[in-house]
Amino acid sequence: MRALSLVVAAVVSGAFLVRAEAPVPSAPASPAARPTPPIECQPCPLQPPPLPTPAAPDDPTLPPLPKQSPRNASYTIEARLDPERHTIQGSLVLEWRNTTGQPQATFPFHLYWNAFRNSLSTSARGEGRRSARVRGERRDTRGFGYIQVASVRQQGEGGEADLTPSLRYVHPDDPNADDRTVAEVTTPAPVPPEATTRFKVDWTAQMPYGDVGRAGWVHDYHFVAQWFPKIGVWWRGAWNAHEFHPFSEFFSDYGVYDVQLTVPQGFVVGATGSMQTARDNADGTRTFRFHQDDVHDFTWVTSRRLVERLDRFEEAGYPPVDIRLLVQPEHAHLAARYIAATKISLRSYGAWSAPYPYPGVTVVDPAWNSASGGMEYPTLFTGGTALFAPAALQSPEGVTIHECGHQFWYGLVGTNEFEEAWLDEGFNSYHDEKAAQIALGPQGFGKRYFGPLASGRGTRAPWPVVAPDVWIRRGDSQLAALRKFGALDEMARRSWDYRSADSYTVNSYDKPALSLQTLEGLVGDDTMTRILRTYARRYRFAHPTSADFIGVVNEVTGADYRWFFDQTWYSSEQCDYAIRVKNERVRDLAGYKEGPDGRLVLVPPSPPPRNKDEGPFESEVIVERRGGVRLPVEISVQFADGRIVYERWDGQYRWARFRYQGAVKVHRADVDPYGKIALDVDPGNNSWVDDNARVARRAASKWAMRWMFWLQNLLELQTLLG
Amino acid sequence: MILDAARRGLARAWALRGLVVFLLLVNLLTAAVLAVPLARTLREDLTNRGAADTMLYGFDYRWWSAWADAHPDTTFTPEILGTGFAFKNLDLLLHGNLPAGLFVLPDPEHPDERRAAVDSTVLALGAAYLVVQVFLGGGILAALRAPQPEWTVRGTLHGAGFYFGRLLRLALLVLLVDAALFGLYGPFAQWVDGQAREAVSERTAIAWLLGRNILLLLALLGVNMVSSYARVLIVLEERSSALLALVSGAALCLARFARTFGHVLLMAILAVAGLALWAPFDRHWETVGYKSQVVTFVLLEAFVFFRIFLRVATLGGQVVLARRLAGGPAEGA
Repeated sequence: MRALSLVVAAVVSGAFLVRAEAPVPSAPASPAARPTPPIECQPCPLQPPPLPTPAAPDDPTLPPLPKQSPRNASYTIEARLDPERHTIQGSLVLEWRNTTGQPQATFPFHLYWNAFRNSLSTSARGEGRRSARVRGERRDTRGFGYIQVASVRQQGEGGEADLTPSLRYVHPDDPNADDRTVAEVTTPAPVPPEATTRFKVDWTAQMPYGDVGRAGWVHDYHFVAQWFPKIGVWWRGAWNAHEFHPFSEFFSDYGVYDVQLTVPQGFVVGATGSMQTARDNADGTRTFRFHQDDVHDFTWVTSRRLVERLDRFEEAGYPPVDIRLLVQPEHAHLAARYIAATKISLRSYGAWSAPYPYPGVTVVDPAWNSASGGMEYPTLFTGGTALFAPAALQSPEGVTIHECGHQFWYGLVGTNEFEEAWLDEGFNSYHDEKAAQIALGPQGFGKRYFGPLASGRGTRAPWPVVAPDVWIRRGDSQLAALRKFGALDEMARRSWDYRSADSYTVNSYDKPALSLQTLEGLVGDDTMTRILRTYARRYRFAHPTSADFIGVVNEVTGADYRWFFDQTWYSSEQCDYAIRVKNERVRDLAGYKEGPDGRLVLVPPSPPPRNKDEGPFESEVIVERRGGVRLPVEISVQFADGRIVYERWDGQYRWARFRYQGAVKVHRADVDPYGKIALDVDPGNNSWVDDNARVARRAASKWAMRWMFWLQNLLELQTLLG
Repeated sequence: MILDAARRGLARAWALRGLVVFLLLVNLLTAAVLAVPLARTLREDLTNRGAADTMLYGFDYRWWSAWADAHPDTTFTPEILGTGFAFKNLDLLLHGNLPAGLFVLPDPEHPDERRAAVDSTVLALGAAYLVVQVFLGGGILAALRAPQPEWTVRGTLHGAGFYFGRLLRLALLVLLVDAALFGLYGPFAQWVDGQAREAVSERTAIAWLLGRNILLLLALLGVNMVSSYARVLIVLEERSSALLALVSGAALCLARFARTFGHVLLMAILAVAGLALWAPFDRHWETVGYKSQVVTFVLLEAFVFFRIFLRVATLGGQVVLARRLAGGPAEGA
């Protein structure tokens, strides 16, 4: 219907003289293969379309779904937790298949918990909420932890070779010789291509206190993540095993995990995969065995306090998924919301990419003061909420949808979080905002009061107050972050190369999400879904790169979209379009003109019209590109008689002018009227409305009055003092 | 006695409702000093913009967000809407931002960055308002002490001028007491926060956090009560020494703590009840056109009137209580 009205409007507007004028671009010429975006907007990105039905597993128009992962790094682990001393004793056997295409004799292992070993580790030297800094104000030593490898042996048919003497710490990213988060061992003989070798590693670990970082203990709550010696990934022709940086996350190969965990009896255990057995031991402990195929990590949690809630996601077109929620007792009243949000995520992401293939997922509600919340691990993720959780604020829904969404972007499509964090965080943020908007509507605005003087991870101010009728729509909060920090760095950088924690966040989460939303606006929702389905299926259980994704975009759209990514992912420029209009009555001739006999005749100025809206008018619409990002935009121009003209501009030069002459003047003009350019950092200047001074005055007085009311109360409150 | 003092205080404030309106006007005009420029700024930004419509019929978060980035010190944020204004203000008070950012509590993670959480213009205006209220305090009490309360602008200003010096010295002394209170509270709050952080359950942590905030609020109410009685004594007994009046006020309050503090608590509960009544009404009342704006303005000012009325009524009740507790003659309302 909207398309029809646009066509009618365009035909009707033929009566007007429409002329677009823009100077010859002095900037680089537009790419030849740039596609012309459709002007139709059904529906607009601001109002996402309903969820599509998930694609069939054997859909012939999409790449086939792999049945299993390469399984080239599989672990069998036995670990025992001492919850009093917060130590772990572990032993693992890594079965590693050489898929590198060349013989390998040197093997890097991540020892992540050594980030907490002392104040000189690379992570502890950095900033950011997850940095391994020990909080200064307490000056206690609980924040320190370590992982100490006792022995490394290579197991073969001919016996075991002790690799322990060859173990040395390496620092691939910086000259910090004090960092102990990556170690490598050398085998006596290289492992040939496609051969499989086994490493047996024994280690002990001291868990850090859990108010920073991800893993850690808080009382009897032990969140055990990135906890075992883990082999690096051979990627792009080299080992990829980076130090543990304050912002960076993780990257590993897929395999089969079979893990036995021993904890004191009475402790509840949640872990990656499904529980196979649980047996009580004579020493008062209990051993749980978990198993999961085709994942790239294993994480677990244990505590006496966790309360279990079970549910099941079962919908047409999706494999069933058992949901196991482990929630803090004081948050039990929020269990239904946690589970509903998990289902939203499984449903939405499954429809937009490919359905979740594992039989179960575990949701963990972190303990008070634990920084383990809001993290993703294969088939297990952590949420986070507060005792008082008004529905409008969408907590725990927001974080639950996001972290569960990582099962798809990170879990199933295993991108390199060290080097291309946007490929999981950005994709996930793009989808979580869309999923939440469709399932829950816009989020309310709220603020929490009476919190601690220093807000740390895991603690939050207790008392929420929701502002009535203030709604935060898809992309709004990301836009604010982009405006503030978007120009600090190019988006596509290694996570530790960003200038600051804010820059990491905006470039890993907000900007890529808005870029994808913009791409959705340009190519349309159906095409975007097709892109993501193709990408998700082709690279399930693989390690794709940004170039792989761009390749999929080009393949699905049939056009070269590299220019789009050059403007957005490989740029630190901001995107901002603005519009303004000048309406002028068509000038009457006044002054001298040639008479019939060729002599000059003086024509006096005609009196001004009594009605200021009396035409004819000459209107000039100026569209400006205030930022450095050049994207094609649409412009809608509405005239006083209701007619609408639609224009397109390639956005290459700094501005473009559109002139119209007709009986009525331009009443309203919008650049990007459907909000397709989600990256536009100031959407407020995307519209121009004629003669709205009265409306502006009323709106201004309304809100100034509200503010004055606040100030009056603040003034009055001061009489309590003095 | 508490209920009676409250009742008599309310009656006296009602008898002086003209004075309350006068105080409301002072409050309104002070706030307007900054509200009018804000209205102008908003109007200029909204003129010729599509957001004018959305801001008229609702709140355009997207527009506001960009506008707020362009005005980084602005206090025009959605958090002041609904009952948010009361919580924000209380939070500012309990973090030592009032008055003039004098008692700002340090963030233990950034102890060197002690910066008030409100725009300095707002704080400066607040400080000026406080001085004006100290000035007017003498006039208010002079009206309240009369057997049959009545007021004139001239009489109020006369009383205000007459007692200003003493009340100003008293106010400065009270600020010193407040400074000492916040000085003690800072380390205490950090200790409580540590307990909250180490709590096993969020419930316990909330109890610690809310508990320390309530404790500080009660302490501030206590200091305010002592300072109020000191002001009452200055006016009733024509005390010339602010310091001795403060000591006498403290002695009076300590000697009759249940009654004096019970009265203050009762009035505070009335204020909270007023806010509770206001909240659902405010949520459902739509403000769009000028007519509804006029009605909204009247309602908002009625609420502020109510607050000032309670302040005057509290002072009136304290006059009654001070006389009774000092063994003075009973009086008619």
